[in-house]
Amino acid sequence: MATFTDNTQSDTLPQWLQQQARQQGTGIALRHKRLGVWQVRTWRQLAAEVEHLAMALQVRGFVPGASLVIVSRPRPEALIAVLAAQWLGGVAALLDPLEAAAAQVPLLRELHSEWVFAEGHEEIQRLRAAGLAPRLLIYADGRGMAEVSQAGDTLAFAQLLLGSDHRLEPQARAERTAFTFYRLGAGQRIEQQRISHAELLKEGWRLVHSEQLGRQEEALAARAFAAGSQARYLLAPWLIAGFRLNFPENLATRDQDRRELGPTLVAGTRETYERLHAQVLARLPEPGSWRRRLVDWALVAHPGALQRHLGYWLIRRPLRDILGFSRTRAPLVVGEALAPHTQAFFQALAIEVRTWPDPAQWHRPARWPAPLVNGWIEDSTQPA
Amino acid sequence: MAQTQATKVEHLLELENIGLSFKGVKAVTDISFAVAAGEICALIGPNGAGKSSLLNVINGVYQAQQGRIRFAGEGRRRMSPHDAAVRGIARTFQNIALFKGMSVLDNVLTGRTLKRRSSWIEQALRIGRAAGEDDRQREAAERIIDFLHIQPWRDTLVGKLPYGLQKRVELARALAAEPRLLLLDEPMAGMNAEEKQQMSRFIVDINRELGTTVVLIEHDIGVVMGICDHVVVLDYGRKIGDGPPEEVRQNPEVIAAYLGTRH
Repeated sequence: MATFTDNTQSDTLPQWLQQQARQQGTGIALRHKRLGVWQVRTWRQLAAEVEHLAMALQVRGFVPGASLVIVSRPRPEALIAVLAAQWLGGVAALLDPLEAAAAQVPLLRELHSEWVFAEGHEEIQRLRAAGLAPRLLIYADGRGMAEVSQAGDTLAFAQLLLGSDHRLEPQARAERTAFTFYRLGAGQRIEQQRISHAELLKEGWRLVHSEQLGRQEEALAARAFAAGSQARYLLAPWLIAGFRLNFPENLATRDQDRRELGPTLVAGTRETYERLHAQVLARLPEPGSWRRRLVDWALVAHPGALQRHLGYWLIRRPLRDILGFSRTRAPLVVGEALAPHTQAFFQALAIEVRTWPDPAQWHRPARWPAPLVNGWIEDSTQPA
Repeated sequence: MAQTQATKVEHLLELENIGLSFKGVKAVTDISFAVAAGEICALIGPNGAGKSSLLNVINGVYQAQQGRIRFAGEGRRRMSPHDAAVRGIARTFQNIALFKGMSVLDNVLTGRTLKRRSSWIEQALRIGRAAGEDDRQREAAERIIDFLHIQPWRDTLVGKLPYGLQKRVELARALAAEPRLLLLDEPMAGMNAEEKQQMSRFIVDINRELGTTVVLIEHDIGVVMGICDHVVVLDYGRKIGDGPPEEVRQNPEVIAAYLGTRH
């Protein structure tokens, strides 16, 4: 049952954030695990932080249409930076946090963005390796920063939030680009995917209606910044429906955090489900053992009445708990569909994974800067 | 005079003419050296050179028969391991000494024992100072777990962890005591190249980010030369080299006795 309010006045992501802050200011928007404890941000706090960061960016010269490159694993500060750039009518340019560092360097080298959010020391070293000297470099994790040569304006995220109390209305427009994603395509050529606010909200609405998502949902943003499909089917629905978005402590703990949290909405990729399936397969009892026969008996495709009930209490329920699917009512795979054997495994656990295809269109950027010539870039205009 | 004062180094640890023997067998003879506050100092030497014995003298496991130790400006002839811990000296061991049946978090929390102020009765009944103390101790332990990136294994029993991770947990437990001086006895023994690189990174981070002075025993000369500010070389219980890595590397006696590259 959807509990959100339809509001046709909000036609950009920042406007939806404002609306949620007005309608459920004290409701929990974000949770993230830090030092073993879940920390919370309400919608009002989140909107205030986004607005403060937007003002800090504006003061430093960030203009509508400019790109903020995000080089970070999923964390609340990165999401706030995304929304702040969009608040000012800018674009959030995201790189896959799971991509190998070496693969990101050529991408970063060509992006030569003036505005960068980097998670910490490791990401900043990657920027330096790419020869990037942005006008403003924001970092979230200060560890090891004493070693980094701080060219240009390098500031801690927390420092930028110490802004004034002036108000700043969102300057984003529905038809403008909200996100840009990059990848190295065939022949190591850089390809780009651009998604406008209107497109995101259209896809987000479709998911919210179809899956009947409401404020009561809990979602885990384990790979929220990996792909356009995550922006379409997790971030946009989160802002529209106003549910809770949870960030794991780090990527290595995401499966444990999912187990602890028991999200009702899982918007995973094919890799997410395959990884979980592989974890279960690795822990199954030896073939031929009575315990293995019990598992196989409980997980048959079409169980009888006894198998269904006994199998639920003995095998399926504990397995769903271990996987973190104990409360999941909207298990989604965004992008490529699951392999038949993985789909069958989740079906046996009574988890009907639904596929939401990724309508991404990758293309070579039209206004791509000229290639590097002797270490210098001839055209300094920003892409996107 | 002014110049002398300006260049004067503040020493956290000073060993003066330390001598230790076991039933007449001399383990270390007349060893003197000083460790500056904030540096990483390596004790190197062949097996049986007296490195671990010296570490045991520093944290009070062994009592030196000769000489004295000055730590943080205070000189003592004898010091118990408890005194050493109270004064800010923590250590790890060559052979892992963890509680294998306890979780990573609980092992790290044991390192906070001396930081507790509540009495055992307050702790047993969870009253008085004990009530709020648990949360503070847990938070301090979690900070170390976060610092050493062992969150995924927070609730795992230590006995189930691979060797390299157990070494990191032992380091976490020592760090939980918030030491001024950290003694590491072969922290990278038995590790592969990747694990050594990771552990080296953590030791440097501990030194730079937390400001902890480190004395370590290590056989991997590449690691020693890469991360240490100061190297002390022992051979048959005697000191044969003491200085910055580059200087020690050139020392003919060290080359002959330890590095074995005199051709």
